[in-house]
Amino acid sequence: MSHRTAPGARVTGLAPRGSAPVTRRASVASSAHDWYAARGKLGTIALAFAILSGLVTHSYHLFDYPLWETDEGIYMERAWAVIREGRLSPQTYVFDHAPAGWLMIAAWVMLLPGQFETFGNPVNAGRVLMVILHAASTYFLFEIARKLSRGLLAPTIACFFFNFSWLAVYYQRMVLLDNIMVFWVLLSIYLLLREDVLLFTGLWSGLAFGISVVTKENAIFFAPTIFYLLTRRAKQDESRHFTIFFWLFSAAAPIVAYFLYATLNNELLPTDLSFNLNAGQKGHVSLLYEMWYQIHRDQGTLFNPRSQDPYLYTAWLPKDPFLLIGGTAAMVICIWIGWHVRKKDPALLVAGTLAFEIAFYLARGSVILDFYVIPLIPMYALCIAFVADRALRSIPAPASRFFVPAICGCAALFLLVPPGGYLIKHGQGVNGQPGPLQAADPYHVPLTYLQAEQIAWIRQHIPPNAKIISDDDIWVALHDVAPYYRYDESHWNAASDPQVKKMYGNGNWQDVNYIVLSNGMKHAMILNNTNGQENWMLTALSNSVEVWHASKGSASGQVSVSIWKVQP
Amino acid sequence: MGPGSVMADVIFAGLLLVSLLVTAQASHTLYLTLYTWDRPPDEARAPDHFLAPRLSFTVMLPARHEEQVIRATIARLARVNYPAHLIQVLVICSADDQDTIGKAEEEIKRLRRRGRANVQIVVFSDGPVNKPHGLNAALPHSRHDVITIFDAEDDMHPDIFNVVNTVMEEEKVKVVQAGVQLMNFDSSWYSALNVLEYFFWFKSRLHYHAKLGAIPLGGNTVFFERALVARLGGWDEQNLTEDADIGLRVSAAGERIRVVYDDRYVTKEETPPTLAQFIRQRTRWSQGFLQTLRKGVWRELPTAKQRRLAFYTLAFPQAQALLGIYFIFSLTTMLTFKTPVLVALISFLPVLLLLAHLLVSVIGLHEFAGAHGLKPPLRTVLLLAVAWIPYQLVLSYAALRAVRRQSRGIINWEKTQHVGAHRSESGDRALGLDEARENVA
Repeated sequence: MSHRTAPGARVTGLAPRGSAPVTRRASVASSAHDWYAARGKLGTIALAFAILSGLVTHSYHLFDYPLWETDEGIYMERAWAVIREGRLSPQTYVFDHAPAGWLMIAAWVMLLPGQFETFGNPVNAGRVLMVILHAASTYFLFEIARKLSRGLLAPTIACFFFNFSWLAVYYQRMVLLDNIMVFWVLLSIYLLLREDVLLFTGLWSGLAFGISVVTKENAIFFAPTIFYLLTRRAKQDESRHFTIFFWLFSAAAPIVAYFLYATLNNELLPTDLSFNLNAGQKGHVSLLYEMWYQIHRDQGTLFNPRSQDPYLYTAWLPKDPFLLIGGTAAMVICIWIGWHVRKKDPALLVAGTLAFEIAFYLARGSVILDFYVIPLIPMYALCIAFVADRALRSIPAPASRFFVPAICGCAALFLLVPPGGYLIKHGQGVNGQPGPLQAADPYHVPLTYLQAEQIAWIRQHIPPNAKIISDDDIWVALHDVAPYYRYDESHWNAASDPQVKKMYGNGNWQDVNYIVLSNGMKHAMILNNTNGQENWMLTALSNSVEVWHASKGSASGQVSVSIWKVQP
Repeated sequence: MGPGSVMADVIFAGLLLVSLLVTAQASHTLYLTLYTWDRPPDEARAPDHFLAPRLSFTVMLPARHEEQVIRATIARLARVNYPAHLIQVLVICSADDQDTIGKAEEEIKRLRRRGRANVQIVVFSDGPVNKPHGLNAALPHSRHDVITIFDAEDDMHPDIFNVVNTVMEEEKVKVVQAGVQLMNFDSSWYSALNVLEYFFWFKSRLHYHAKLGAIPLGGNTVFFERALVARLGGWDEQNLTEDADIGLRVSAAGERIRVVYDDRYVTKEETPPTLAQFIRQRTRWSQGFLQTLRKGVWRELPTAKQRRLAFYTLAFPQAQALLGIYFIFSLTTMLTFKTPVLVALISFLPVLLLLAHLLVSVIGLHEFAGAHGLKPPLRTVLLLAVAWIPYQLVLSYAALRAVRRQSRGIINWEKTQHVGAHRSESGDRALGLDEARENVA
């Protein structure tokens, strides 16, 4: 039987009879970087360990530490509004954040048999979701690191930091939009690294990225690297134009929907098209005005220890200097080496620029809250992992068989026990001397019982019709369980929302019956009083007597909560 | 709650339901449109090397009032890269079409002078005068292993028989549908969209149908084992889309159908020259699908999944008619109704999908042009965007017209005129067809 080659046939596409068919997809596989490393049995064990250890570190003592924070309360109360009232916020929704995060929380709570009270305090329901998302994020991070590095060392190291760093354990437990955003960003990247970048995989990846942006807007900073990765993966593929289009289209769809929501509510543009930040918003809230306001917020540089809230020095470095300093150095190395080897191996450049993008966001000098560090954690973990992987791979065999496990073991031990202290640390001794070894705070310090006692005291001693100024951390607990405290609002909302303020006689301190102080709330009220909007509440506080108080010492200092009865 | 409020709730619920249904339908259509790009089947491409010719082919070339193009088509068939003794060409005409018969005879004489004697004319004088009847009339005259159909305006690739010979021999399939592609994307306001419909249908969607085993075949460049056609009893002469009908009958008989779409080997055709012609063509297709749906062959498909797909495909023109009505309704609603925000957001989903379809078409145009060495000007891309909605409305109108014709029992064949807009002089000259073309002029 004779054969004739068809005109125009690609010689490279020819395969001998009986061999595996050569498809267009194979051309992707033949590019410089092999994206298809198999996980293998050892990889599956490493992955299982990573997920399991993440579940243990993040769920152990979950309901007790740290305190239920104000922002956790805000997102839980917005999820509450979605379920109970069919709107995005129990107060006026001011477009401070896009709603995908608390819509997801609301969906989760709807699934729970006891809804908000399934795990006791409503914030706990959100924390359980965070642990589940962390397990999923660990899976994505492991697979991203494995596929980019084509080995098991980098994913193991990356997941080690992601699961054990005190910085990670502390913030990743909290019900925060940043944690949900990280889940979507990692999912988006993970989808792009699947064995075969298919058209609709690009669609799902884009959708995941779009959702990440409408969960927490700063996800947009990751867009350049994710898009670069997309074009790298789709390169040489016949469907690349459709793949890229679908990614862009599906990424844009949730964002467009958010803008459409504002438009339909007549809340896209400010009243009289006034973007005057000094005058504030008049008439109605506006998405574009809020964006304009956020862009122009300035709180000084992150690196200035005398700035308003120098979280770098007060909250981040004390928790984990190793991840932050090591991660920064690794990021620089990743970008430097990655740029030179990008055509052959994009892994370092991808990790380095992902970290750089969020580091740039944090360092650029706008308003930063302590938990904004969350997206930096997996990216720094990736950078450290890739640099360590590259360094350890340079050890020649057979010495590497001994030295690589030994070095990794020693480094892990160094981080888990003092001086690292991820798991075990010294307690407070006398005269500045280190005390006996004990588990790190996240695993043994109980704090939320203070808030639980505070809620219990309110329910025992304060009538439901009392007008209360409190913080968002206990809002859902007071509004979702009978008797309902309908006249309880946080000082944040009482200061900024005219509808809420109306409840207190348009800001008459004598209309307030009780002030329930969360830890650090008085300090927050003073900081939030730049235009005098908290004056009436501070006056009420200064005309109050303390009727209940509880406190506890911890590594972060004295934690204190109290209740004050206003004396009109 | 007053009666007005209840009425508003009913309207909003209806709006939500329709929006979600349209979104689901549009998403599914988008999936089918890009099926091949998402999961390109290994067998989608034509083979890169050919087996030695073994199978013999009878080419059926039904032609009615095709005096403008028939000579070039016959000449092109005579020049294919396949042994002449393995090819039989039957030009099928009705007795009243003397112009086409005359032109075909002229070309046959010219070919005989050059030693080619494998082209014959089959003339039928009974009714109905339509394509399936012509095919059935020619069937007894076919003497080769495989029957294939080309339309009178087709520009088939010279290697198409090698492609099919190789596929049929290697894969032992009895039916092959090869690619058909409209080419003249720049002829009218609707031609680019028409071209893209073919592009996505043959390059992508048919592969999905073939995979599931419920495939409405195309009208040409389709190859059947002769015995199979005989066993099926030929084509349905009362059906305006005899091709779709026989495709479903083949599927119902459990025969695997192989789809080959390779940009290199597509049969080139032209879009209808006028809007009226285009509407007639579309009406015929919609009515034919409606006939096939009512005939119920799709019910004989073995699995529920196959039956669902066949039903969905055949009923789609009717859905398209409803969509046209819904479009007008939604436009009215948009301008006159104040809907709740959530309802408005969900109603926006079909618009989002519409935009996706439009952008996919723009990229599709780029892909199509790239595959054929063409370069669409920006004007064409802009026109495509502007023409998108009117084009959908024209399709809806054609679907409505089909329903009206069917309900009145009008089933005559509205022929599409062909002028050879997809052919170029240089292309013909390259194939040595300049003489046939000059004679046409």
